[in-house]
Amino acid sequence: MAKGKSLRIGAGISVAIIILLIGFMGALDVTALSKTPVDTQSIEFRSDIVTFDNMEAFGKLEKTKAVFLHDQHTDALEKKNKDCLACHKTENGRMSPKFMRLKDVGREELTKIYCDNCTKCHTDTISAGEKAGPVKCDECHKERPLIQSSRVPMGFDKSLHFRHYRAQKNKCDRCHHEYDKKNRKLFYAKGKEGTCRYCHKEKPEGDDTEKVISMRFASHLACIDCHQKTQAKQMDAGPLRCAGCHDAQEQLKIEKVKNVPRLKRGQPDNTIIKTGDKKGRIARMNQVPFSHKSHEEYNDTCRVCHLASLESCATCHPLVGSSKVLNNSRDITLETAFHKRGHQSSCTGCHESKQQDKNCTGCHAFMSKTRQQESTACLRCHMVPLPERTGELSTSRAAKMARLMPQLWKETFGPIYKVVVPKTVVINDLVDQYEAVEYPHRKVYDTMVKKLDRSKLAQYFHYEDTMLCLGCHHNTPAAGKPPRCGNCHDKPFNENNLFRPGIMGSFHQQCIGCHQKMGIEKYTGCTSCHKERKKQS
Amino acid sequence: MSISRRKFLGWVGAAGLSTTIGKSAAAATNKHFTGYPKSFAILHDTTLCVGCRSCEAACNKVNELPQPDKPFTDLSVLETKRRTTTKAFTVVNKYDNSKGPQSPVFYKKQCNHCLEPACASACFVRAFTKTKTGAVTYDSTVCVGCRYCMIACPFEIPTYEYDQALTPRIRKCTMCYPRVIEGLLPGCVEACPMEALSFGKREDMIKIARERFRKYPDRYVDHIYGEHEMGGTNWLYVSGTPFKELGMREDLGITPAPQLTAGALSSVPMIVGLWPVLLAGIYAVSKRKEKIAQTEQEQALTSALDKKRPAESETEEES
Repeated sequence: MAKGKSLRIGAGISVAIIILLIGFMGALDVTALSKTPVDTQSIEFRSDIVTFDNMEAFGKLEKTKAVFLHDQHTDALEKKNKDCLACHKTENGRMSPKFMRLKDVGREELTKIYCDNCTKCHTDTISAGEKAGPVKCDECHKERPLIQSSRVPMGFDKSLHFRHYRAQKNKCDRCHHEYDKKNRKLFYAKGKEGTCRYCHKEKPEGDDTEKVISMRFASHLACIDCHQKTQAKQMDAGPLRCAGCHDAQEQLKIEKVKNVPRLKRGQPDNTIIKTGDKKGRIARMNQVPFSHKSHEEYNDTCRVCHLASLESCATCHPLVGSSKVLNNSRDITLETAFHKRGHQSSCTGCHESKQQDKNCTGCHAFMSKTRQQESTACLRCHMVPLPERTGELSTSRAAKMARLMPQLWKETFGPIYKVVVPKTVVINDLVDQYEAVEYPHRKVYDTMVKKLDRSKLAQYFHYEDTMLCLGCHHNTPAAGKPPRCGNCHDKPFNENNLFRPGIMGSFHQQCIGCHQKMGIEKYTGCTSCHKERKKQS
Repeated sequence: MSISRRKFLGWVGAAGLSTTIGKSAAAATNKHFTGYPKSFAILHDTTLCVGCRSCEAACNKVNELPQPDKPFTDLSVLETKRRTTTKAFTVVNKYDNSKGPQSPVFYKKQCNHCLEPACASACFVRAFTKTKTGAVTYDSTVCVGCRYCMIACPFEIPTYEYDQALTPRIRKCTMCYPRVIEGLLPGCVEACPMEALSFGKREDMIKIARERFRKYPDRYVDHIYGEHEMGGTNWLYVSGTPFKELGMREDLGITPAPQLTAGALSSVPMIVGLWPVLLAGIYAVSKRKEKIAQTEQEQALTSALDKKRPAESETEEES
């Protein structure tokens, strides 16, 4: 009896182990099979991929999104002397970018439009004995890992805008419009033109009666329609194929106009940026003279600074922050909007990005990237006294004031003294190993002055001769005779001054660091600066 | 041999108890060990290193190592990736900079002096000591040359003097322990002209690193390599490029090496204590089974015989 029982238990355990083993191996097999290795070499990159994702609006997808190659279809239809209308409908003489419909429809109808029309054309083509696309559901609705999108977004830069402006013979209303809420109509308002993206966002907005179409839809509707009609007139027209606008290589072929005349939309040449809001509240800061005209030259679109509208900044950004979190531009105070670091739209952010230039980075790379600056630095921009102090003067002739202000300041508070830069400085800290270094101090200073002359921005902010000295002689007042390096930098790793390099480290970090950043001389070892010690006789 | 059921269970219980005692002993590896307080550390800032090899030269001098074939001023050796050897406790390697192809990155490799060293935990003769300065030192007089430390080290640092027939030693960076206890800087740190190597209290080095991240957020990857890697090391690194690109392992996790083996080692007392009891028990059970079977057989035999000779059995019973 006992023997029989233990036998049965033993048999049970071994069966269980075998089942487990089989299951485990089975799992391994399945994972091995489900991942077919993709050869990266054979991936085709195309700019004309349209993924049919319209169904996402109706919730969870039943099938894999179909991958559609638009230019391939355009080419195939062209060969058969068919045009866009084979797939797209027109309304009021304008072709809709939507497939075989003009308006958004329900789930079932949408499914029918795609499945019926696609398969019908494919079946017809096949029955005519030609090559065509799939006719079965899963042949369209499948992953196509070997085809990847290389689509790049298209932008309307100043040059392209000018070319359109020239071709349309100054008829801005061909593209620009406003929306009249009362009459529910689009109309053109002179002097109110703005970027399409101010209204047409990434996703359509508003309800069905007052829908603001998405940027994607708006641009394809307007651009392609106009390009088509222009081409029909046998005139020079823009691209019609996807690749024409969205392929990186094709984009490079788009002609660039070099000296684009200034866009005119009533913007000032010079102005004073106020430090108050529309309600009359004022931040207790001087106002900022600003040359709008010269800043236009540095940017390709208005959108770089005017993110959401061409109205004044205070329209959206509040002067005083609120405790509520709104998650829109009203969360961002005027102060942040103008001074946010690392953001191209803010004054400080954009100016700071210029410090990355090879000519500037030698000094600026070593300056702490923290917001806190000396309060005198504020006055470099905030130099126009508030109207309450100057009265009529500033308000009535703001433009003139803005233009004059920097000049006035330079004359009043300009360089007080001329710096006396020694020709050479002998550094002999390492004389036990090498000959003393004769540092060509004046040559370095003169080179920096020369580099400064190349940039208007740099000239403006380095308004005093001594400003340039601060690159090396940091943390000291800008003066003709700064303290010696060794006054602060002593032995290394001093616990009393944890973050301060020692004297040897500070010299090498400053010299080699600057040379590396500015790409001046390639470091080739110690002897590129220190001459070998002469043998003492 | 006969064991009562009660006795057997008692033994098993005792053995089981001994395993719990074993566990508490394993806890002595200390999960929350954060290094000796005030131990020293070296912070290597790869964004400052210019690859001058001054540290290599100083290391060679301080440790009285043989002169290499090419002098330390020859920077062409940086073109090949090197590892530490018995004749070079530290090497500087050059790596491409994914952020700026014009300026390569240099990374100095040497023993990281783990807070809880894997080499020390693998060594069964205790040739390695984690000293209070932070340095992991090695005592060649007790070393038996098993080279377990070389296998245990996740950074592949210890090297073995294969060319020494009689007195081969493990060689690695000592974090200049003899110099540090005298109040001197480690050789490499003292020689570094760029102060790319900073020396001081480990807490201070972490503070310096964080201050640099704060001051120059664009320059650094926001991570101090060695702060937590393998439970933390006394050699710390900051870099502008991902550490992976400098050939540094990012898959090590934050568990100190001794803790990885603590679980397995804690079961040693259990195996030592429990197995003899278990095996003896199994042996006893099988013996008992045999005995029972034997008696059953005997009984069956006697009863079969009794059927034939009932009178005989009666008389036997009476006696």
